[in-house]
Amino acid sequence: MTTAVSIPRTGGGGRRTAVAASARQVTKAYGTGETRVVALDSVDVDIARGRFTAIMGPSGSGKSTLMHCLAGLDTVTSGQIWLDETEITGLKDKKLTQLRRDRIGFIFQAFNLLPTLNAIENITLPMDIAGRKPDRAWLECVVATVGLAGRLKHRPNQLSGGQQQRVAVARALAARPEIIFGDEPTGNLDSRAGAEVLGFLRRSVDELGQTIVIVTHDPVAASYADRALYLADGSIVDEMVDPTAEMVLDRMKAFDARGRVS
Amino acid sequence: MTVLKTSLRNFLAHKGRMALSAVAVLLSVAFVCGTLVFTDTMNATFDKLFNTTTSDVSVQPKDAEDDKDAQRTGRPETVPASLVEQLRKVEGVRSAVGSVSTDKVTLTDAKGDSISPTTGAPTIAGDWGDDEKKKMEIVKGHEPRGPTDSLIDADTADKNGIELGDRIKTITASGTIETTVTGIAAFKSTNPGAAIVDFDSATARGHLLGSAAAYSEVQLTAADGVSDEQLKKAVVGALGGDYKVQTKEESVKDAAAQVGSFLDVLKYAMLGFAGIAVLVGVFLIVNTFSMLVAQRTREIGLMRAIGSSRKQVNRSVLVEALMLGVVGSVLGIAAGVGLAVGLMKVMGTVGMKLDTSELTVKATTPLIGLALGVIVTVVAAYLPARRAGRVSPMAALRDAGTPADGAAGRVRAAVGLLLTAVGAAALIGAGRADEAAQGSLLLGVGVLCTLVGFVVIGPLLAGFVVRLLSAVVLRVFGPVGRMAERNALRNPRRTGATGAALMIGLALVACLSVVGSSMVASATDELDKTVGADYIVQSDTGQQITPAAERAVQETPGLTHTSRYKNVTARITSPDGKTVKDELAAADPTYARDLKTETVQGDLSAAYRPDSISVGEDYAKDHGIKIGDKLGVAFAGGRTAQLTVRAITSGDSALGGGAKYLAIATVQRYLPADKLPLSQMMLASAKDGQEKEAYSALKAKLHDYPQYKVRDQADYKKTLEDQIGQLLNLVYGLLALAIIVAVLGVVNTLALSVVERTREIGLMRAIGLSRRQMRRMIRLESVVIALFGALLGLGLGMGWGATAQKLLALQGLGVLEIPWPTIGAVFLGSAVVGLVAALVPAFRAGRMNVLNAIATE
Repeated sequence: MTTAVSIPRTGGGGRRTAVAASARQVTKAYGTGETRVVALDSVDVDIARGRFTAIMGPSGSGKSTLMHCLAGLDTVTSGQIWLDETEITGLKDKKLTQLRRDRIGFIFQAFNLLPTLNAIENITLPMDIAGRKPDRAWLECVVATVGLAGRLKHRPNQLSGGQQQRVAVARALAARPEIIFGDEPTGNLDSRAGAEVLGFLRRSVDELGQTIVIVTHDPVAASYADRALYLADGSIVDEMVDPTAEMVLDRMKAFDARGRVS
Repeated sequence: MTVLKTSLRNFLAHKGRMALSAVAVLLSVAFVCGTLVFTDTMNATFDKLFNTTTSDVSVQPKDAEDDKDAQRTGRPETVPASLVEQLRKVEGVRSAVGSVSTDKVTLTDAKGDSISPTTGAPTIAGDWGDDEKKKMEIVKGHEPRGPTDSLIDADTADKNGIELGDRIKTITASGTIETTVTGIAAFKSTNPGAAIVDFDSATARGHLLGSAAAYSEVQLTAADGVSDEQLKKAVVGALGGDYKVQTKEESVKDAAAQVGSFLDVLKYAMLGFAGIAVLVGVFLIVNTFSMLVAQRTREIGLMRAIGSSRKQVNRSVLVEALMLGVVGSVLGIAAGVGLAVGLMKVMGTVGMKLDTSELTVKATTPLIGLALGVIVTVVAAYLPARRAGRVSPMAALRDAGTPADGAAGRVRAAVGLLLTAVGAAALIGAGRADEAAQGSLLLGVGVLCTLVGFVVIGPLLAGFVVRLLSAVVLRVFGPVGRMAERNALRNPRRTGATGAALMIGLALVACLSVVGSSMVASATDELDKTVGADYIVQSDTGQQITPAAERAVQETPGLTHTSRYKNVTARITSPDGKTVKDELAAADPTYARDLKTETVQGDLSAAYRPDSISVGEDYAKDHGIKIGDKLGVAFAGGRTAQLTVRAITSGDSALGGGAKYLAIATVQRYLPADKLPLSQMMLASAKDGQEKEAYSALKAKLHDYPQYKVRDQADYKKTLEDQIGQLLNLVYGLLALAIIVAVLGVVNTLALSVVERTREIGLMRAIGLSRRQMRRMIRLESVVIALFGALLGLGLGMGWGATAQKLLALQGLGVLEIPWPTIGAVFLGSAVVGLVAALVPAFRAGRMNVLNAIATE
């Protein structure tokens, strides 16, 4: 089972489709011949707009690769990827860069911020690069939401790990991207700080209608999502709607056991 | 052992990061070794040349040209022909041959265009005798056989397209002779760059020496079993002390000493420039190791955590430096030999044919190269190595990628400011100094202190200057410009050291350009103020004006008058009884109008009356001389005169202020005609309204004497400017080495920074910075660093230059002229250099894989 296509391509007659991003028969392989390693094996997936999706799986399952491909950071060996109506597979670096800049937000596990820029400069960086003026009101709203109002002039090394990740979340939200990708966004945080960040992400989906995809192996993180996809050996093996931490944990134990048996 | 293994692995793992440091070491070592090999080869070549051409013992006239007491009459000194017979009878002489040789000639083709070397090498005219046959062989035609035959060297013939049967003219003090080229001879080994023309013995004696019964020198060969020393003793015994008798060893030593002193100047000048490059290279190496240590902080922390001692860590870095030094030096030594061969080829194009098979590499040369490269590298790596030793084991556990050693220490600031202040004070002192010696010392101290001071406070200045430059230059580039500024500022020590390396070379360029243009401006100013004559006639190579050329100038139509100027050697006894040797300025009375010299007492034209003289203010003060006092003047080669002081000239005028003027007519009364020196220079003035005609008439008249140039004031100034310009270009060329090393330093810093910032670059690319913007960001950072170095260097250099001008104002450098176009060009050029330096690092940053950069290990 390599499919997670469960959402209709178009929503209730709205102008925009209900799918923010989708992959069709995406294969990613490294090397050739004997040493060929398949990271993604003919994956089909749709990411629902205005929803919080978690991609889960053990190390080496290909979950990060899938996210990188969806986000236009990595190229695919075969298959197609769409961001909204735009097919991004086959785009040149210049177009891809523009796409990432204007339509995608990123939150990484660590090293999210430029050490030379202060918090607010980091937040507005994608817009500065694009030469766009940030929307003041929206920016203030985002900053207030993540609770950074008093620390905007601080450099990253003057902020705690949780604060740094909140700046990264603010940066991702500030440009109002169509979709935000998070690569283990709470992987480096303690549980309290992690919960804080995940809470912000959840609220931005609920209150602001943001589309978010995160890659994680933490069942607690996955429990904040509307839908969890499970990857193993480059294929989507299961999915779960409105997961709770317990459900996710059980499912993972089951996979682990199966993995050991086979 | 483990230390060595780790060092070796690190060295090999970071080959790329070491590459530019190795190139810096290579360049410096290559320049030093190249200089040594080149000068050693030149020395060896000349030794060989002198050894093959010098006879066992030579007998020359006593008061030859190099005798300081002789008048420069322009006529060759001779020995009587009868001396040859006399010498043949001396015990131990196997053969005695009279030979003719003089370098007081100019050679032209049939049209009268000079074919003498333009490089300052001599033209040597003589007879085709034994000594010539030793060094040359005839390749075309035959030896000169009669009064119209002549033989020239193949290089001169080739260069000027002269064939057998062509007519050439030989201009001497006694006249011009025209002959046919009947032979062309090539040098057997090295041609030192001279032009050679030979005649048969009788013609040579008659034309070149002015008497058939004379020779330039007599060359003796010793009989078997007689040593040169014994022969010399016998000859001196037979002739007494009237002649200069030299053994082969002595002659070779004399000749080699002359060439050697020139080569020494060349050698030390080039080594000096190599030294500057070495200094600049030190900055590069320090930066490289600092950055390697910073990047390896976690690794070093781990080593410390598992039990390496500080010393071991320290040593491992130094061993890496040692390996770098060895690799760079060995390559540098090889490159140095190549450089020497290249220099020899270059010398070939300007006339000196050096044989590369005679390449002389002394055993000490590679040793010096290796020692230099290794010591410089290890010393430069010492501070970073010590810093590595201080890394705490905790660093292994910390997540911080690169520790920000941002804050430059307070001690550094204090030391730097103190040094700069001391330097500035010394410079101000130098500018105000009354005595040259004291002023030079202060200038030296000032230059050194300000330079070191600037290097020390470089990191502090970097913060300030980079912000300033950013405000002016980078603002227009928006966020990319802002990030470039932040990057340049994030490690002030690194930016400071990189900029300082560039600063050194550019400071010297700025200083020399200020001094150079001040020289031109001062000379122009002085010319305007003092020279009343319209035209100046003199030779560019310091040759004196022959009587025939003198007459040609005097007979030119359209001139109101001409003035000759001669230097006359004499011993002067002042009324206080002291005697000094001096060169007097003997001129025609009109010279007083042509060169306006202020007097403090008396009228200068009175000094040109019979038996009169003028003296300079300083001399008058030192010896208590007043107008009307008498000086005893013993003319070398003539009689002693009692001359009356009629004027005392002011010491302030740069041109001829201290000279002692008298009339040529006065000199002629005490000096026999054949001892009267030839003119050094002539001045002439045109009748009103005929300036143009007179100028072209003078040029036409002097066409037959291509060794002299006539110039009006405008052309004279232009020539002066060109000469100084050429000299400056040569020095800039040599400084280019240091600047190239500094530019490599900028490349190095950027390249290592890009490696260090891999993750940042990945992040920026991920969130949408395009390749183009990325490249621009790196380029702007580079430009800002380069401009920072340029700003510091130019400022410092102009300060030095202005101080040097103030100091040299005592020696006639009265006008300060800042060459703004040059300064501006250097500043803009630095921006270009910054762009070029960023080419590769920017390309690599643009190419960096986004995923690798953001991957979480």
